[in-house]
Amino acid sequence: GALSGRLKAAVHYTVGCLCQEVAEDKDVEFSKQSIAAISEITFRQCEIFAKDLEMFARHAKRTTVNTEDVKLLARRSNSLLKYITQKSEELASTNMEQKEKK
Amino acid sequence: MEERDGRAGGFRKDTVERLLRLHFQDGRIRVSADAQLLMAELLKVFVREAAARAARQARAEDLNKVDTDQLEKVLPQLVCNSGPELQWEQDEYVC
Repeated sequence: GALSGRLKAAVHYTVGCLCQEVAEDKDVEFSKQSIAAISEITFRQCEIFAKDLEMFARHAKRTTVNTEDVKLLARRSNSLLKYITQKSEELASTNMEQKEKK
Repeated sequence: MEERDGRAGGFRKDTVERLLRLHFQDGRIRVSADAQLLMAELLKVFVREAAARAARQARAEDLNKVDTDQLEKVLPQLVCNSGPELQWEQDEYVC
């Protein structure tokens, strides 16, 4: 529908920016088709992620997906899990600082 | 996380939220703000990983332009469901 079209366009835009960074870093170019393909893969991967997140939250008898559920998504890879756990801790400490300021 | 204005170095928080909501079976399911930011990070890593692997494949073939052929070759290892032995090379990409 129209919503998924707009979302696809948003994903495509961000994928283009990220590919540009990788292109500069690795000194290669990306064809338009390859960027479109990465966008499409990412969009489809979101469906898998969404269904897993929903299942994890429901398994814990929650209706809100939280950061623990996201960490579970990353469980298959040690390095990815480490990165996501670190990001999660950064988020938690930022939240703590903001609460202390109030 | 480098900023709190709805962007997490790539995907916008609200884009992530809509992307996920599109696929939830139960309309009552929500995503906490922190989980949205963390998902934005995870998607960013996913995209960079895809791009970096395809770039490496192109280099291995002595090409300086990545096309869908290179992507297809690295795709099976990329998609998360492919297996627990998946090795992300994202240590290069820690922000």
